Amino acid sequence: MKKALYFFIVLVLLFSCKKEVVETTIPHQTSPYTISTPLGFPTMQIPDNNPMTVEGVTLGKKLFHDKILSADGTQSCASCHFQAAGFSDTNRFSEGIDGSFGDRNASTIVNAGWNTSNFWDGRATTLEDQAFGPVVNPIEMNNSWQNVENTLNANTTYKDLFKKTFNIDDIDSTHVVMAIAQFERTLISANSKYDKYLRNEIQLSPSELNGLVIFNTEKGDCFHCHSTDMFIDNLFHNNGLDAEPFTDLGLAKVTGIDSDNGKFKTPTLRNIEFSAPYMHDGRFSTLEQVVEHYNSGGKYSTTVDPLMKKLGVGLQLTEQEKQDLIAFLKTLSDTEFLNNPDFTP
Amino acid sequence: MKRIIIALLGISLVFTSCKKGKVEISGCTDSSALNFDPLATIDDSSCIYPVNTSLTINFSQTVDGVDLTTDTMIYTNSAGEDYSIQTLKYLISDITLHKDDSTSILLKEVHFVDIRNASTLSVDFGELQDGNYTSISFTMGLDTAKNISNRYVNEDFHATMFWPEPNGGGYHYMKLEGAYTNDSTFYNTHTGGTMGGDYSFNNNSSILLNVNNDMGDVIIDINMEINNWYQTPNEIAFSTYGMGIMMNMQKQMELKQNGMTDIFSVSVNQ
Ligand code: HEC
Ligand code: HEC
Repeated sequence: MKKALYFFIVLVLLFSCKKEVVETTIPHQTSPYTISTPLGFPTMQIPDNNPMTVEGVTLGKKLFHDKILSADGTQSCASCHFQAAGFSDTNRFSEGIDGSFGDRNASTIVNAGWNTSNFWDGRATTLEDQAFGPVVNPIEMNNSWQNVENTLNANTTYKDLFKKTFNIDDIDSTHVVMAIAQFERTLISANSKYDKYLRNEIQLSPSELNGLVIFNTEKGDCFHCHSTDMFIDNLFHNNGLDAEPFTDLGLAKVTGIDSDNGKFKTPTLRNIEFSAPYMHDGRFSTLEQVVEHYNSGGKYSTTVDPLMKKLGVGLQLTEQEKQDLIAFLKTLSDTEFLNNPDFTP
Repeated sequence: MKRIIIALLGISLVFTSCKKGKVEISGCTDSSALNFDPLATIDDSSCIYPVNTSLTINFSQTVDGVDLTTDTMIYTNSAGEDYSIQTLKYLISDITLHKDDSTSILLKEVHFVDIRNASTLSVDFGELQDGNYTSISFTMGLDTAKNISNRYVNEDFHATMFWPEPNGGGYHYMKLEGAYTNDSTFYNTHTGGTMGGDYSFNNNSSILLNVNNDMGDVIIDINMEINNWYQTPNEIAFSTYGMGIMMNMQKQMELKQNGMTDIFSVSVNQ
């Protein structure tokens, strides 16, 4: 009897020290989604609190394409990010739900899981942070998160999907952006003609090969910013588009530092053939114009990158070399990605 | 009665068991101390610690012996060109300490230095074992065995130091950039394994560092004197860079020779 009592006391003591009470929950089953790292890509950094699941990706895809997120039900993420255009907008500026326009061209969403910052000026760190923006942006979906949460919670399909995916009873903005970010991390493009060439599966034409050499040597000097097989360096540069004063301060809008004026995030060049118009403000409608810009050497400003070292002199490419460079850029088109049925609802 | 007492005792224990300091035992409460007392609840400042020697390596940069100032055209190279420094990133590899008993310790395979990122300018290597250290060696850049495309794909520097295949592949050893003569004329002193050649070089500096168990922290400073890239034995003028020097074996060789002459100096502070 005494023994039992002591045992009881010890038991009470043991439990009394636990801070958290373990609730009994119905175990909920999700299947992990594995990202396979393409040749020449780093391992993708996925936030610990948002592991990839098949359920999460499917839910994210549904949300990405669903107009339910906008105030008047007319716009989804996909309204400005078209798959066939590398998830960018073919219009120079995107039209928001009220017919208002922004002053930046919609970014592509291609291999965005490897971005260390998002938006042209890098103002969002993770894809989760990024997705909070457009829903409430007055010139985009112009909604409120409270309203989105109410609408989704009133929708039995979503109730069910969020329960299955995240095991939550009340849908909140945090889990909405988590699902969208999971979907975006699957938007991987690494099966272009160039990738097949890297894997020794095909040959490039002499013109494409010549373009590759121009791109990847100091002749064209593109690789110093559009670096590696990802064609980004996750850094910000002023590539000599404008002289001062700048109409869009870019990175400096976020950092407030003068030396960041006119700097923008290096965009990927994968699927560039299909993601016109080009640059943060969509000023160029063709790759010919882009190449002409670089061939001119660019304009001087106090923040122009020292990598734009042919300022005032220009690249001095011949007509044939310009065409070769463009031919190479087009080897970065990945039709399998642009038409991948996994990305469409 | 007895039962009630035991029960009461039990209950009171439940109340006190999670509160620290009710039953007070004084002693040393720090588990990293030599005389740590696991039963002690109150620290009586009696802890005794082992004396560790921790090693930090700092990477500093000077021009003409003065700490680097970026973005202003206040420097002049030996060819007489005024210049500014905007970017300086470089890779130091195989950082190794050597002891008098001819053993050595590899501290780090590759370290990336970026003057814009303070966290790359100082590395804490933690505890340094006792011994008589007589020299430190390291490589400027990456030797052929390491300078392989995508070898460091998961390192921070992978993209920014990338050196494409048509130039030989691997990584830039160094990116030193800025303006010269006037604000809109740029130089890019980019060194690397041009066309698969090995232009990395080793630096071995003697040091006096006898570490024993009652010694404090040690800082080793590895300084790069930037102007020395351009003067001895080869005077190098930015105006001779042409379209760039990444494919220019002659320039890479000259920079390597100048680098080996006097680019680095090592000092030990205790
Ligand atoms: C009205 C058009 C519009 C809608 C709707 C829209 N976007 Fe965008 N998106 C843009 C524009 C414009 C930018 C670039 C803005 C900037 O950089 O300031 C952008 C940038 C992004 C980026 C940054 C990519 C990068 O590499 O930096 C991501 C990711 C993104 N949008 C995802 C979304 C998601 C997810 C949704 C839905 C929740 C969404 N967008 C809805 C127009 C839109
Ligand atoms: C100094 C770094 C740098 C160099 C060198 C550079 N770029 Fe860019 N590139 C950028 C940045 C930054 C942007 C975005 C600029 C903006 O929108 O303001 C960009 C934009 C582009 C775009 C438009 C992408 C889009 O989605 O709108 C293309 C195409 C492009 N560059 C191709 C090239 C080519 C080809 C070369 C070589 C001839 C080259 N770049 C050299 C930094 C660079």
